[in-house]
Amino acid sequence: MFDRIDPRSPTPLYEQIAGRIRVAVAAGELTEGHHLPSVRQLAATLRVNPATVVQAYRELEREGFVELKHGAGTFVRGISEERKKGERIRGAAELVQEMLSEAARLGVDGQDLRTALDRELGSVSHE
Amino acid sequence: MSDAIKTSGLWYRAGPEFELHDVSMSVPAGSVYGFLGPNGSGKTTTIRLLLGLHRVDRGDISLLDREVPKAMPEILQRTGYVPERPHLYPSLTVSEAVRYHGAFYEKWDESWTDELFDRFSLPPNQRVGKLSKGETGKLLMALALAQRPELLVLDEPTEGLDPVVRRDIMSALLDYVSEQGATVLISSHLVHELERFCNWVGLMDQGRLISELPMEQFKNGIKRLRIIDPPNHYDDSPFEILLREPVNGGVPGEMILVQGWHADMAEYFGGVGASLREVVDLDLEDGFVEMLRAFRVQATEG
Repeated sequence: MFDRIDPRSPTPLYEQIAGRIRVAVAAGELTEGHHLPSVRQLAATLRVNPATVVQAYRELEREGFVELKHGAGTFVRGISEERKKGERIRGAAELVQEMLSEAARLGVDGQDLRTALDRELGSVSHE
Repeated sequence: MSDAIKTSGLWYRAGPEFELHDVSMSVPAGSVYGFLGPNGSGKTTTIRLLLGLHRVDRGDISLLDREVPKAMPEILQRTGYVPERPHLYPSLTVSEAVRYHGAFYEKWDESWTDELFDRFSLPPNQRVGKLSKGETGKLLMALALAQRPELLVLDEPTEGLDPVVRRDIMSALLDYVSEQGATVLISSHLVHELERFCNWVGLMDQGRLISELPMEQFKNGIKRLRIIDPPNHYDDSPFEILLREPVNGGVPGEMILVQGWHADMAEYFGGVGASLREVVDLDLEDGFVEMLRAFRVQATEG
């Protein structure tokens, strides 16, 4: 699940780790009660700073995705379908933001993007 | 204790060609501090000064809130060190080297040591001089961890080792850090490795500490920006400009290297009649190379 953690990305590592778990929960890959690896295990496996893992887990706890049970570990919480949908929309928004910043870099304007997007989506739905 | 290592105004002349120049560094307690710099920039010299292996010409050093070199015996009890070159007697066997080394530490823990040596699968009866490079690297790290230090000073601990050994060593180190909350100062040329787990970065060049920042500020605050219609002077900019140069390939505008950048600052350019066309993200290696380049340009221009 963490294969694509990219330390070189400008997105902080804790955010990448939290993002992977969030997506896995929204997609139903991780279900309620799933026991996440301990901070120590995950830090050693990913070779990241333990503080980074703590920060990721705290963020997920604040958002209600996981529960930190003292002495027992970190567990995935049950998430409503509505919330899962919200997460997918948030994921889509992130993809679009990436696309927009890339487009700005290349000097492609919004109208061209919209046209291209409609065409691509159209070809998907006609298939 | 807020800083596990603190130096102020460190000067040290190491020869006619090289001098440490006013080095003031702070390694926060509990941080993993990546110490970067090209060969000959003064990293090893600084580390040797920290450990009392050289005497400073001027300046103060404290480790774990104790003064160097006055409190050195106490500091060394609490500090694990992996030197750039192995410092073990080659004719001792691994287990003899462990006993010899352990004798210097009051709190040496046999069972923890056995656990570490098992983890690294080090052959106890092999002579130290006959160990492979990878095994030597593991032995040095195991010895540094075995004393259960509060502070680890690691001078290129994975230099020249294969990726499998490197991962083993780094995982063991991070495991220890998780468990003990120890502070780590680590120098390495393997910048991508440091990028994974360091949360502070100190950058040296030509005997000076040219930058010291939390990793996140280093990576997110240092950017290359492409500017169209650049002004003659960037007056009152909310960020610091380190370098200005034309864009490659005859593309209009100029590239500037900035520090202290934040996305909100894009508005500034409209106010000086310019426009921001592109923000180039830099990873740690790019940031490191760009900072050095800027430093050297400024040094030549006086």
